[in-house]
Parts: sequence; structure tokens; C-alpha cells
Amino acid sequence: MEITPDLVKKVAQNARLRLKDEEIKTFAKDLQDILTNFEILNELDTANVPPSFHPTPIQNITREDTPQPCVNREDALALTPHKKDKYFKGPKTL
Amino acid sequence: MIQQFITDAKRGNIDLVEHASKALESAHAINKEYRYIAAWADPVARAEQLQQLAKTGNARGKLFGVIISVKDNLCVQGVESTASSAILKGYKPLYNATAVQRCLDEGAIILGKTVQDEFGFGGFSINTGTGIEKPLNPLDKKRTCGGSSGGAAGLTKKAPFPHLALAESTGGSIANPASFCGAVGLTPTFGRVSRYGLIDYANSLDKIGSMALTVEDAALLLDAISGPDPHDSTSANAPTDPLTDIPRAIHGLRIGIPQDSFPETMDNTTRRVLMLALQQLEQNGARRLDIKLPISTKYGLAAYYTLAMSEASTNLAKYCGIRYGASEALSGNYNDYFSRVRDNHLGEEAKRRVLLGTFARMAGYRDAFYTKAAQARTKIIQEYQAVFKDVDVIVTPTMPLVAPTFDELKNLTPLQHYQMDVLTVPPNLAGLPHITIPIGEAHGMPVGLMITAPHFHEHKMIQVAKSYDKK
Amino acid sequence: MTKNNVKIGLEVHVQLKTETKLFCGCPTNAAEPNTAVCPTCLGHPGSKPVLNTRALEFATKLALALGCTITPHVTFSRKTYFYPDLAKNYQITQHETPLGTNGQLVLTEARATADAAHKTALPEERLVRITRVHMEEDPGSLIHEQNNCLIDYNRSGIPLCEIVTEPDMRSPAEAEEFMEKLASILSYLGIFDLNTCVVKADVNVSIAEKNYQRVEIKNITGFKEIYRALLFEIERQKQEEVRKETRGWSAERGVTYHMRLKESEEDYGYITEPDLPSFTISETWVKSVQATLPELAENRAKRWSTEWNVDSGDAKIIAQNLDVATLFDDIAKHGCDPILSARWIRREVLRILNDKKIGLTQTEFDSHHLAELFKLLSTKKITDRIGQNIIALLAEKKFSPAAYVDEQNLGVVADESALKKACEEAIANNAKAVDDYKKGNEKTLMFLVGQVMKATGGKAAPNVVKELLASLLK
Repeated sequence: MEITPDLVKKVAQNARLRLKDEEIKTFAKDLQDILTNFEILNELDTANVPPSFHPTPIQNITREDTPQPCVNREDALALTPHKKDKYFKGPKTL
Repeated sequence: MIQQFITDAKRGNIDLVEHASKALESAHAINKEYRYIAAWADPVARAEQLQQLAKTGNARGKLFGVIISVKDNLCVQGVESTASSAILKGYKPLYNATAVQRCLDEGAIILGKTVQDEFGFGGFSINTGTGIEKPLNPLDKKRTCGGSSGGAAGLTKKAPFPHLALAESTGGSIANPASFCGAVGLTPTFGRVSRYGLIDYANSLDKIGSMALTVEDAALLLDAISGPDPHDSTSANAPTDPLTDIPRAIHGLRIGIPQDSFPETMDNTTRRVLMLALQQLEQNGARRLDIKLPISTKYGLAAYYTLAMSEASTNLAKYCGIRYGASEALSGNYNDYFSRVRDNHLGEEAKRRVLLGTFARMAGYRDAFYTKAAQARTKIIQEYQAVFKDVDVIVTPTMPLVAPTFDELKNLTPLQHYQMDVLTVPPNLAGLPHITIPIGEAHGMPVGLMITAPHFHEHKMIQVAKSYDKK
Repeated sequence: MTKNNVKIGLEVHVQLKTETKLFCGCPTNAAEPNTAVCPTCLGHPGSKPVLNTRALEFATKLALALGCTITPHVTFSRKTYFYPDLAKNYQITQHETPLGTNGQLVLTEARATADAAHKTALPEERLVRITRVHMEEDPGSLIHEQNNCLIDYNRSGIPLCEIVTEPDMRSPAEAEEFMEKLASILSYLGIFDLNTCVVKADVNVSIAEKNYQRVEIKNITGFKEIYRALLFEIERQKQEEVRKETRGWSAERGVTYHMRLKESEEDYGYITEPDLPSFTISETWVKSVQATLPELAENRAKRWSTEWNVDSGDAKIIAQNLDVATLFDDIAKHGCDPILSARWIRREVLRILNDKKIGLTQTEFDSHHLAELFKLLSTKKITDRIGQNIIALLAEKKFSPAAYVDEQNLGVVADESALKKACEEAIANNAKAVDDYKKGNEKTLMFLVGQVMKATGGKAAPNVVKELLASLLK
């Protein structure tokens, strides 16, 4: 599989990383090197092998529907300069 | 060693305030030279509280008066916790990680936050975030501490006061630095310790563990933080037998040595040290069996990195300069803004892993990478389970080399960096508990031996480690 | 022959009526911005989700009520996309293993509405296939400002159930009926609060003239808007070139507008949510949930009209409200005439609820006393007039209507000798009406009956009075 600068660009865009052309070139080379190595997984016969999303089976842990204390709004807002009145402030969406 | 200190502290035989002040002073001195601590807590104020309890006969807790350091990726309320990433600069959590809270409940004193590779992305603590200095090996400043829990390992080795370290491993981040610095590093089974409050690298792989100078001390800290937690639905309900005071006799215990665990690249001196350690275990009464772990050895690394990066790339999505951490002036639309924040504040290796992880889970590639890796994990877990029918623990070198110099690391490609984890990755991928103990020196640097046990059989590996531990 | 010109599919998001959010213990009913927030729903580093048991139970109820097969082994996924209202920049949803699959909802009405042009001539039952029912968390809410947005995370993590249909609806009217039926099911199940919970939908529409090129309209809020948006979009598709795109709906302007081309859609890069375990939904548990499901409105109405000959209009209206429907079933069990009971419940009980804008549980009505009252009515022990008075009192206070009628001497008066005096007085006091009647205006007789009723406090049997008056005026 070939990792082209265009592909890296597309992935970077998806991950919201704005890379410089040089970075794209370097990363394309790194990714090529690494992913080619990872492709070794293709050798492995995994027909009918279920994936493990955890190392041990963990099941059916839930909590009761009872309210728990919230954090104080002022404490939460104190963590950012981007706020206005009772709200967090974010970038525009249009 | 620490147990005696705790007994004395509870009896009021130790002036905890004076003790904490002196420890703080010497930690600052060490830090100037070696850069292990990223943010400081207030140990003296805490010592005053505990002193008061001791005076009134209310000294309680398994860790009473013990100074602990906390890896930077564990949230400590009110203390800057950044996982050594510039993108979390200034972030002071509103809550304590469960592991941290349990230490406090047991009477521990927090010294500060130990430096690591950014988000755990590295094995040499050279990938610290922008503006964060790299820690130096306590035995040779030209060499790495290992990583990602580099600060924790360095401080554990260097601290002149009784000290325990809360560390964390995703693919070897406890065993690797502990072995490079000559410390004991204990990584429990996945789920044994709640991850609530752990700044995630890869959620299905992250394990909080401990470092100390002795096996018993490392076990003491793990014992204090283990057990299910309603805040982490993947924390295990498995019974937690006490991990301290485990007898050291290993007579008749079956020890498996994997065929390929001594890499060709390993030099003879290091090899000899390890062979002597194995002989020692046999002399102590263990029965040695040769085993094979072909799938784990060959595919473990690829499966591990694919899964770890896939998960990591989603975990890092939340860092976008709105609610906490680094931010920029709000301008442009949200895509411009998020890209700008992430571009300016994520380090190079973080970007590399975000790219790899995003790629591995993209439509069209997901089946061949992400899902395939999860299937490979199943086969690797099964392979271990089969082996553990015949042996009680598996013993291997911890790292294929002693701590490299910073110059040596400069010449490695990213892939070669990843390949250094070849021995620690398979047990981490399978969520198996493992412990590294220092067993000697090669070229003047410590060599570590790693003992791996079946899921939730921490006591077995502690038993074997203790039989070796001379302290 | 039916001609299918339009294909409509829905993705409906309904808010589940839980006390707390889907993955944390923050309350769902906060009004003040950013007060129902915690590390988990703010996406703080290190926070973890833990699934709300009741949300799982409610979602299972809905999936079962929609005839879905419950997936025995369920996981959650991370759907990664960047947006300022999304605290983690990924949404925890169900991708690979939705809780329910392969359900259905039956449409029954081919209604004549404003969109008659699109209406298919299908009087028969129409099946809408439900592809999947799954759980997911809501993002926060945004207020847009000139150069930035303001974010309130109170909604972040609110439990939603997403219902996805096949493109089986053929007109906006059918989509509207689907939504109404769904709303009835939701309220029957007690998992949705019409007053406080929010319904949002994404719709996909395509028309035959444009080769069924599919267009998606995102994020329409409210039942009425879905209908309006569909009407507009179908007209637009007829007049314009149709391309594969995602559009938005502006309720203010009443138009759909271009958002993005389908090709430029985000790659969500789904992975299994590693912070949550997997969930095994046992058959025993599904059965226990199934056992709690009430008989749904449509089935009840059908049963009442076929088994008890209840007027089908009365049946449908009573069945819409679960509490009232249960009340009716209970009253019928007391041996009351179901036809009469249904009529009285529709006309009087529901009228009182509507006038006062309250629910049944906020009144003192109970099946026992209403049954007693309806028996007095069906055996003609009291007049309708007295019945109306008593039912109004029963809304306020519990008492025995039979005892009350005895005590207050409210029994019907049908004895001619007892009524004769009142009739004669009515004739004497209303000369003009009598005159009109004699001139041939039959209607004025009813006026005179009214006067007698008034004089007797509503107790007089109207038919007896009428006959008596007629004979006296001969």
C-alpha cells in the first residue's frame, strides 16, 4: 500500500491537524515505513476469530438512574479564558 | 522498608512536617539536575494535616505519611496535570483520579507530578511536550530514563527519602523505565486498578501501577489502589487478595522461558546477567520450562500499535482549545480554530500517532488494520492462556538493551523506536500483569528481568520477584 | 394500481425520560446553563462513561414495542467528528450492534390533507420497516453569535434513542402519521415526556422523476416541522436539479438549504468504545421487559370496537392517553355498558382534562366511582344532566354517586302526576312559546322541556316531560 502525501493530507484534515508541506512529506515517509510493517497482520489467519476490544471479558456494568452532584459552573468555567456569562465560548460554526 | 516508616509515622515517632519539608527540598535539588517533576503539590501542608492526626491518635491508612509521586497523566485535583503535553498546559483537574484518591484515603502525601512522554507516546521520555524538559537517567545523565513513566522511574531510583511512585503502562511504560533506572516496576492486570482520572492514551490498554525500590513496597502501593470502582465500568470485580506479605518461597513453581525472548541484537554482557538470574531462580527451587509464543512475538507489536493509536487518536480529539488547556484567540470557523490549536500545541510524536490512528480506523482501512489488530489480540490472549496451562509465570528480559544514550536514540527511525518495545508489548496487549526487577548491571547500567503472570494472578509474579529480591 | 412517486425514510431521535444522563449522574432537567455538568459530560481528561440502567431498559422497551429483534450482545462505538457542541469531539453511539433491528410500524390511515397531490390511494394498512433502534448521547447546545458561539453542556450526554426506518413512506402525510403513531407508543411506554423531551429527525427524500436521487435533510426539530420540511423538499425536487447532498431546514423561512455534498461527509472512523464493557442482553431480561409493556393504543382501540362494539372514534381517542385508556378498561371490567362508558369518558372526562389542561392523575377520578355513576346512567336512575353535574364533582373529590343521588334526592322523576304541576306552570309562564308551538313551531316544545328541567333541578326524565307537555298542549 502506498501512503501518498495526498492521503496524509486527507487523514490530517480528518484529524484537524494542519500540516506544513514538509511535515506532510516526513509523515508520509514515516507512515509508509510503519504501516508497511504493520501489514504483517495480513498474514495472520483470523477467519472466525472474534475481535477483543478488551484484554479480559467485561460485561454488563451499569449504574442506577440516580442524580449525582455536578461540578460548580464557575469552577468549570475557570479552566478556560473562552467564556461569556454562563456559557463557554467556542469558534463560530458557519 | 517503607512498612517500617509507616509504623513509625503512625506512632508519631517521625516529625512528618520536617520530613516532608526535607523531602521537598531534596526533590527540588534532584529536579534541577534530572528534571523528574513537572508540577508540585503541597506536601508540607498535607504533612501538617497528617501530623495532627498522628498527635490525636487517629493515624490510619496503609500509606500513612508516605511521600508518593504521581505520573503526570493522573489527575490530581488542583494540581496542574498535563500528561506532559503542551495542549493541556495550565489544566488543573476538578477531581482526583481514583488511584490518587485511594492513596490520599490511605494517608499518602503527594509530592508532585512526574514527567513522561507526551500522553505516554514513547519509550524514552524524549517525546515530552513542547517546553517540557526531558528527564535524565539517574545513573548516567547522557542516557535516557526510559519511558513513558521516565520521571517516575528516575525519581524512584534517586529519591533519598522513602518514596513510592504511581505510574502507568500502556505498552510497557512502567517496566521499560523501571528497568532502565534500576527500579522495581509493577503493572497489574488490565482492570485491576480503576482508570477513572487517568488521562487516556489507549483505554483498552492503559494500566495504572507502581514503582518502588523493593518488590514489597511496589506491592504495597498496588494493594492500596486496587479494586473495582463505580466510576470506571471496565474496572474488574475480580477478588483482590492482599498483595503484601506474600511468601517468597518458589519451590516447584513452573517458570516458562519463551524461545525468542533473547533478541539477536542483545549484547553478550546483558545476556549473561539475565542467564545468571534465571539460574538463580532455578536454584531457588523453580522449575524451568521452555515455551513458545510465536504469534505474540511476531504480531504483538503491529497489533498493539494499531489498536493503541486508533484509540489514542479518538482520545486526543477532545483537545481543541475550548474548555481547558491551551487555547488561541477565537477566530476563524471551528475547523480553522481546532486545527490551529492542535497544530500549535501537540508534539511531533503525538501528531504522528494521531495520523496513524486516524488512518487505521478510516472507512476502507479499518477492517485491515483496526479490526484485524483486535482479532490478532484475541489470538495472542489465547496463546498466552494455552501457555499458562503449563507454567505459572513467564520470565523474559524486560528490555532488549540497557538504557541507550540520547545520541544513540537520535539515529533511530520512529519504527525502530516502536520496535524497542518488542518484549513489553505482548503482555501489555494481552492485559497481563507483569513486574520488572533489577537483577544486575551491564556496562554500568541496570538490567531488568520481567515476570509475567496470568490475568489477576499478580501474587504469583510478586512471589517469584520476591524470591529474587534481596532487600 | 398504486403509483409510488415519493420515498421517505426517517431517522428520529427521541429523548428518553430518565432522571440522569446516559453516561453520568448529571440531572436531565436543569434550566440554568452549564449547571448539570461534570467531568464526564464536559469531556474532561480522564473522565469515563458509565451506562444508565434505566436508559437501557427504556430503549429496550421501545425496540420491543416497535417489534424489533433485540441484539443479544451489544457494544457502543465512538463516532469521531469535530464540532463545538460535542464535548469529546466524538459521540458515544451504537454503530455495529444496535440494540434493536428489523422492526415495523403499521400505518392505517390514508388521510386527506393539504398534500393531497402526494397522497397515495392506499386505503390498506401500510408497513414501515424499522431498520434499527439504538442508544446514543446528545451533544450540548449552541447559541450562535456573530464571531463565535456560546455553548451550554446541560444537554451533553442526554440519553437519546434513534429510530431508523427504511424509505417506506410515500408522502409527507404518511411521515406525519408515522410520527404520531411513534409519539403515542412513546407516551404509552412512559419513556418520553411530551412536555420536556425533544424530538429531532433527519429525513431522506427522493422522487421518481429524479431517479430517486436521495437527499438528506438534517436536524428538524418537532413533529410539525418534519411535515413542512418534506412538503417543501418534494416540491423543490420537482423543480430543481437534484444531487446527492445534505440539506438543512430553516423553520423561520420555511425552506431547506444546501449544507454539504454527500461526498464531503466526514469519515467518522468508528471504533468500539473502549471505556464501556459489552452488554449481554439475556432472553430472561428481555422477557421481563416485554412483560411490562402495556397493550398499545392501536390494539386497544381495535379490541374495544370489535369486542365491545365501542364507537371506533371514541375508542381511538380514549386509547391515545394511556391513563384514560386504562381507566376505561377498568370501568368496563366493573360490568358497565362499554358503549355508554366510552361515550361519557370521551365527552365528559376528556373534556374536563382538556379544559383544565391537566392529566388524569391530577384529578380524583377513579374507576370504581365512575363505574357506579355510569351504572346509574345506563339504568336511567339519573338524567344525563345530573350525570354531568356529578362527573364534574368526581373530578374534584371521591364520593359514592349512588349515595349522593339518594342523599340529595337527585333520582330521576318520571312520575306524570309529580311532573304535571311543573308542566302546567311552564305553560302558564311562557305564553309566547306556547303560542309559537301552537302555530306549528315544534322546536319550542324543547324550550318548554328545558323550563321544566330547570324547575326540577334537572331531575325530570326529559322524554316523560316531553310527552306530558305535548298532551297538555293538544
